Amino acid sequence: MSAAFSGSLAIVDTDDGQMIACQSCERPLVATGQPWKPNAAVKELPMHGAGGGAYESADHVVLRQFYCPGCGALLDTETAMSDDPFLNDVINV
Amino acid sequence: MAVDPITFSIIRHRLYRVVDEAVITLKHVSGSAITNEGHDLMVSLYRADGSLLMGGVGFLHHLTSAAEACKAIIRRFEGRINEGDVFLLNDPYTAALHTSDIYLVAPIHHNGQLVAWSACFVHVYDIGAKNPGGFCPDAEDIYTEGYSSPGVRLVNKGELNQDVLDTLLNMVRSPEMVTLDIRSMIACNNVAHDRMLSLIDKYGYDTVDEACSQLIEQSEQQLRARLRELPDGTWESRQYLEVLDEVYKVNLKMTKSGDELVFDFTGSSPQSKYSVNCTQWASLGGLFAPLFPLICYDITWNEGCISPIKMIAPEGSIVNCTRPAPVSVATVGAIQSVNNAACTTIGKMLQTSEKYAKEATSVWHANHFAIFKFGRSQRGGEAIGIFTETFAGAGGARTYADGVDVGGEIPNPISRMANVETVENTFPIRYLFRRRMTDSGGPGKYRGGTGMEFAVVQHDSPDGGMHYVVSGKGANFPMSEGLAGGYPGAPNSYQWVHNNEAKAEGTNVDVRGTQSIEEMPGEKEDVTWGVFPLMGDDALYVRWNGGGGYGDPLARDPDAVVEDVVGGVVSADAARDVYGVAINQSGNGHDAEGTAAMRSSMRSARLVLEAAE
Ligand SMILES: [Zn+2]
Repeated sequence: MSAAFSGSLAIVDTDDGQMIACQSCERPLVATGQPWKPNAAVKELPMHGAGGGAYESADHVVLRQFYCPGCGALLDTETAMSDDPFLNDVINV
Repeated sequence: MAVDPITFSIIRHRLYRVVDEAVITLKHVSGSAITNEGHDLMVSLYRADGSLLMGGVGFLHHLTSAAEACKAIIRRFEGRINEGDVFLLNDPYTAALHTSDIYLVAPIHHNGQLVAWSACFVHVYDIGAKNPGGFCPDAEDIYTEGYSSPGVRLVNKGELNQDVLDTLLNMVRSPEMVTLDIRSMIACNNVAHDRMLSLIDKYGYDTVDEACSQLIEQSEQQLRARLRELPDGTWESRQYLEVLDEVYKVNLKMTKSGDELVFDFTGSSPQSKYSVNCTQWASLGGLFAPLFPLICYDITWNEGCISPIKMIAPEGSIVNCTRPAPVSVATVGAIQSVNNAACTTIGKMLQTSEKYAKEATSVWHANHFAIFKFGRSQRGGEAIGIFTETFAGAGGARTYADGVDVGGEIPNPISRMANVETVENTFPIRYLFRRRMTDSGGPGKYRGGTGMEFAVVQHDSPDGGMHYVVSGKGANFPMSEGLAGGYPGAPNSYQWVHNNEAKAEGTNVDVRGTQSIEEMPGEKEDVTWGVFPLMGDDALYVRWNGGGGYGDPLARDPDAVVEDVVGGVVSADAARDVYGVAINQSGNGHDAEGTAAMRSSMRSARLVLEAAE
């Protein structure tokens, strides 16, 4: 692995060039310079109760979770209303 | 000619000390809890042209907007700025954040020449807005948010303009407390003035002036060099604000290219009819509040840090509202949203760097609550005061460690809350409990720090109780965003517990003996915006958010989860359902095999879901 993209994603050199990959299993998701979230597994939980009892007052909002399709590692989360677009992070290296 | 490195360092440290001593003066003279206990204050030094020279501690949102205040005074009073003058400015459409945060800016002259400015603020006891305390949920526009000045001469050549001060005091509640606030700021500026002059006397004006120029140049070079070490890219974040049934968004796209950073708030909601809006100067201050400590932690906070940064904030939006939109709740409204959003994008950028990943952080205490109690005190006088608990905050998780429980907040490194006894001595209220809130810290490999919960009832009030004003960003949305898979911290909650009605209906529960909201007999009503009573046995229950988590909760050390459960900061349910830890029968350890099996099956369930889609 050459560098980090985040605490859960790495930037790796592959035959297809530099890719953003899962840090846990090194599965490549997308070429650098592109948003990676469309290639992740996505699940939306109601925020209500998502992290325990203190989340009971949460309403109108979901916890969007992005998983590695290879190993199931949780790569990122977003607080979102269900029609909100993904927050896309792009790195140019 | 360049100042030699040793003299340069001495002057730099002396400038820090000038600010420190001025802050101490402010706290010694001010009599209000929000200043002394909450540390809702700021002191900084500025160059002769109003540019930031030495940013001080306190609320960092103010460093850049007080620079704009100095510049506004320079424009308005050009040719008429005299030695010994002090100017007051609190108009948000000129420079201030909201009317309650009054700036006093004072020129510093040496041998008759204007050489620098000092500026400070406190959140004054009252500003004459529609609601006591300054945060004004009932405001329809800036005209109902109290006294507001785009710049007025309060002290003329060392003589207080009593007529100007009296005009202000004539428009506020508790003028005796407001005059103390104002005088504390005059004293603060006087100390900054005297110490600055003694610095110049010792080293000579030319040397000090050159060192100040070098200091700004140094900061700019250091920040640009740091930005060049980080990869180019764009990072996005989003924050919600809710007032009653209206939901607003602050959208941020941060682009880093070369040695510059652009913060673009395009796509944020149009300005609100409610007072959660903020002006452009406030937004600029909001994004610098995390930028200074996270990126410039070892760089002197001055104008040099501002040059590489650009902000795009669409006019007419919630982050750059137009007059006469109300803004009195801005500091706990859109400004804090800007600050939270910038904390997230900066954290995302920093975590790409091996060198700087340890500076990244999930969002700290993202949802300030401005709850001001008001009424007559047990001694019969008028009493207005914020629940300073909001300044106690909650730390966000870092890339290597949990967030600090009740660990403060990013934009104010010295904020804190008052002791329960101090509050009970000043206001006719009694605390029933105040403690860390279970499950409030955002789950993650590293957990967000917890917030707290507390409840109060009236006690020994000559009027049978008080009232309180609630404002903020609502209680439905978590706002302390996590990073790298960490969950956001839990949302806030404010509840009016109707124990009086329960009592009338025959309950025999002694409310004053209850230790949790669940034990209270009364019906619970959410209160997030407006004025409410705290009478008889009715209680106000407040819970505040934890910090955001960092990383996948299934990657958290199971022993740390056990420790959290034993300590009461994570529930057994969350340990099982969120962290996948099989707590043992005795509750003081975990079953390693059971934990591994549970985590494995939770990861598989995530993948099964993908196949199903
Ligand atoms: Zn993976």
